[in-house]
Amino acid sequence: MEKYFVRDIPRRRFLEMSLKGGLFVAASPALFSRLELFQHGAKSPAGADIGKETLSKVLAKALEKGGDFADVYIEDRISRQIVMEESIFKSGLYGISQGAGVRVIAGNRTGYAYTDEITEEKLFAAARTASYVASAGPAVTPVQVAAASRPSFIQVRQPLDRIADTRRIDVMKRADQAAKDYDPRIKMTKIEYNDEVRSRVIATSEGIYLRDELPLLFFIVQVMSDDGKARHMARERLSQHAGFEMFDLVTPETVARNAAREAIAMLSAEDAPAGIMDVVMQNGWGGVLVHEAVGHPLEADNIAKGIGAFTGKIGKKVASDCFTMVDDGTLPDFRGTINFDDEGTPVQRNVLIENGILKGFMTDVLSARQLSLPRTGNGRRESFRYIPIPRMTNTFIAAGKDRPADILSSTPKGIFVQSLSGGSVNPVTGVFNFTCRESYLIENGKKTRALRGATLIGSCMDVISNIDAVADDLDFGPGVCGKGQAAEVTAGMPTVRIRGINVGGSRA
Amino acid sequence: MNYTDLVLKLVKKCLSMGADAAEVYLETGRNLTIEVLNSEIETIQESSSQGIGFRVLTKGKMGFSHCNDFSDRSLVDTISRAIAFASLSTADPSNVLTSDKGFTAIEDMYDPSFAGIPMDNKIGMALQLEKLAMAVPGITKSSGAGYGEGEGEIFIANSNGILKSFRASGCSLSVSVVAEKGDQKNTGGDYSAKVFFSDLAKPETLAASAARKALELLDPVMISTRKAAVIFDPDTARSLFGGVLGAVDGERVLQGASFLKDQLNKQFASKLISITDDGTRNRSRGSSPFDGEGVPTRRIEIAGEGILRSFIYNVKTAKRAGTQSTGSASRGGFSSLPGVGTHHICIGPGRNTQEEIISATKSGLLLREVTGYGVDPVTGNFSGGASGLWIENGELVHPVKGVTIAGKAPDLLNAIDMTGNDIDYDRNFASPSIRVAEIQIGGR
Repeated sequence: MEKYFVRDIPRRRFLEMSLKGGLFVAASPALFSRLELFQHGAKSPAGADIGKETLSKVLAKALEKGGDFADVYIEDRISRQIVMEESIFKSGLYGISQGAGVRVIAGNRTGYAYTDEITEEKLFAAARTASYVASAGPAVTPVQVAAASRPSFIQVRQPLDRIADTRRIDVMKRADQAAKDYDPRIKMTKIEYNDEVRSRVIATSEGIYLRDELPLLFFIVQVMSDDGKARHMARERLSQHAGFEMFDLVTPETVARNAAREAIAMLSAEDAPAGIMDVVMQNGWGGVLVHEAVGHPLEADNIAKGIGAFTGKIGKKVASDCFTMVDDGTLPDFRGTINFDDEGTPVQRNVLIENGILKGFMTDVLSARQLSLPRTGNGRRESFRYIPIPRMTNTFIAAGKDRPADILSSTPKGIFVQSLSGGSVNPVTGVFNFTCRESYLIENGKKTRALRGATLIGSCMDVISNIDAVADDLDFGPGVCGKGQAAEVTAGMPTVRIRGINVGGSRA
Repeated sequence: MNYTDLVLKLVKKCLSMGADAAEVYLETGRNLTIEVLNSEIETIQESSSQGIGFRVLTKGKMGFSHCNDFSDRSLVDTISRAIAFASLSTADPSNVLTSDKGFTAIEDMYDPSFAGIPMDNKIGMALQLEKLAMAVPGITKSSGAGYGEGEGEIFIANSNGILKSFRASGCSLSVSVVAEKGDQKNTGGDYSAKVFFSDLAKPETLAASAARKALELLDPVMISTRKAAVIFDPDTARSLFGGVLGAVDGERVLQGASFLKDQLNKQFASKLISITDDGTRNRSRGSSPFDGEGVPTRRIEIAGEGILRSFIYNVKTAKRAGTQSTGSASRGGFSSLPGVGTHHICIGPGRNTQEEIISATKSGLLLREVTGYGVDPVTGNFSGGASGLWIENGELVHPVKGVTIAGKAPDLLNAIDMTGNDIDYDRNFASPSIRVAEIQIGGR
């Protein structure tokens, strides 16, 4: 068997994510219903008619009883979802959602209230409720808000509101046909097309006023194979903050064929062995392992509480020398790219761990205040129904110098993980787990037999100390990160080898 | 606004705008969340929200839209989107709406007392809970305690003359703490979630349980890779049965995407196993008088004595399968279409106490935590991370962490040889302790 599959998706466009639960939640129906998509007609976005004057007054009301910081967030989201299942168009969903939230931070306390109705009266009522946490303390005087400017890392060439629905239907039909044409053992397809535009207005007591629109496309192909003996549900995804031109860069056929390839390859899978072994992970979405195992513990909220796994370790050696990890919200058009976070802080490239040394955490306004750290542009929220918390954007292991083929050939025995479904981590203890979707046995430095449903477990501290080879082939994949609320992210990595991970198989 | 009148008016509006059939689902709600940390308020969040979902059928094609702006202009715009979107979908004779006017009588779904309880008392409860848990020797840090409450009302109407509504409430109390010893760290938490405020567990009980969970897994001993008996405690049994519930989803079965698709009326599990889904219990969070599309709820026997008795269906999947809805339409809220789901699952209890099951186990693992996805409903594969307490000669001897367990659901389900009587019916997924005679454990 080939050491590496040749996949015709341009690497960094290659996407995927898990469909089941876990911290890296992927697509429970409730979640998808919130992954709402867009089109703008004659109606202007909610909040457009709430002026800066009014917002300044609301912020003043919010800080009337005291407090250190206040913000108003107004959101308007238009979403589309079309589902094709078993080759028929099962449903079309169109959603319009709007609302506004007012937050007050007073010391370590946060007060928050939101409303579906965006009127001056409702905003003042929310401000009063949010100010409950700030009883009779000293207050900052809010600065009159004025428009701020932020660079944009998202370029739209074919705006989604100018795309006829027939074109959406067409990309779905093409994917369905390509999957079925791949092999007669492909028995079922499920194709989901999602798009949305989220319009944001952010006003803060520090005087910032920002407005923008974020388009998002998310295309998901699931393919089930069945040969009478075995069955496998495969998935492939494509997502960008972009316009419909995404499908020119990666065709729907390509996405479908990749899913079909996995579905057929896994029909011959055998039971995975159990026990501790070396693991080589293919570049791309496997980066979800460090997203979970290291990324979540480096979000500053648990650090501020003094309970995070990396508490007190800044400047210390926490990983092997070849390990550098970055969160970068500026990668052009990436699914995790957001221009500025939901508190108005510009996104940036944050080096979290450099050559094994812990360099920094990902902060939002609150945790940056608590830890006296700079704001890193990671304060994100699922919608106006949630308060911002530290979240990742595009998180990856930086490319190293090794060649992928050399890493495999120098591993006599172990497991080659081609793709993970997803996983979760306990951010306090750093204990993580991942489910492999496609993996192979490594025998004598070569990928051999396909393995069924293995779990990888370990602790974040161990895993990043046990990475001993990092290749030069960095790649990314898209996902939905769940941390009480959903966020669109990418995870990435080059091919890496991790020594001694506990693999959960059903065979001794 | 009178929502009963509104949903009736909107059904008519959908028809007058061109729909052949229509369903209007309206939801309103209010929530309060209090989080405390280190004897201080961390977050207080209050909100009220509302929304409407429109499901319309034109010539057998289905479209759906939702909005949370109840102005006339917004409602009309949203309906027109659903009608326009219906034209994109494929006509399907299974696209039908219920005409079942039944309404299952359920007592005590709503606690009117929340509003009368002062905010400071609710904050005080969370603070006291955290304090009690932190007072247990060996507990070194708090990761927070919280109180939450919510109440909501659902109205559903469709063009078959259905008009139903109900009001429900719920509240919860939770705590999570950390035990540290040298470089070791372990978390433990517990919660209580009830319909009625007065039914919430005592803070003393929750604090003791959270602390025990954090402490009991300190100083673990790694075991070698082996096969051994595994006892799933009531909290971890879900990892075994969650995938079974996914596999009895009638839609998955129709699609061939279920490991139980050919098992109806066959022995698929040990005779000790019965599974019921009951959406009709009084004073229970999983209950409602009708499901996510208006069909009355009922008690469904999914499995009895290890024989698979029923799949679960909503109206659409039942029509396609040539059967009746089991009242199992689940809905993620006004913004989603009805899917298929369960209400209140109960795994039939056995006769033994958990202690008796432990005593009868020569060598094995009492599971306290399972990570991962549990049983895959498509293939029946099971693999996860595990921690718990090791048993030798019927005695708990030491904690175990960082091992894996794996197998195939049909093998595991048939290897169940003991079930406990330690079931808490108030949990939405109520299971006793369950022993599987042998599972592959991966360790050193």
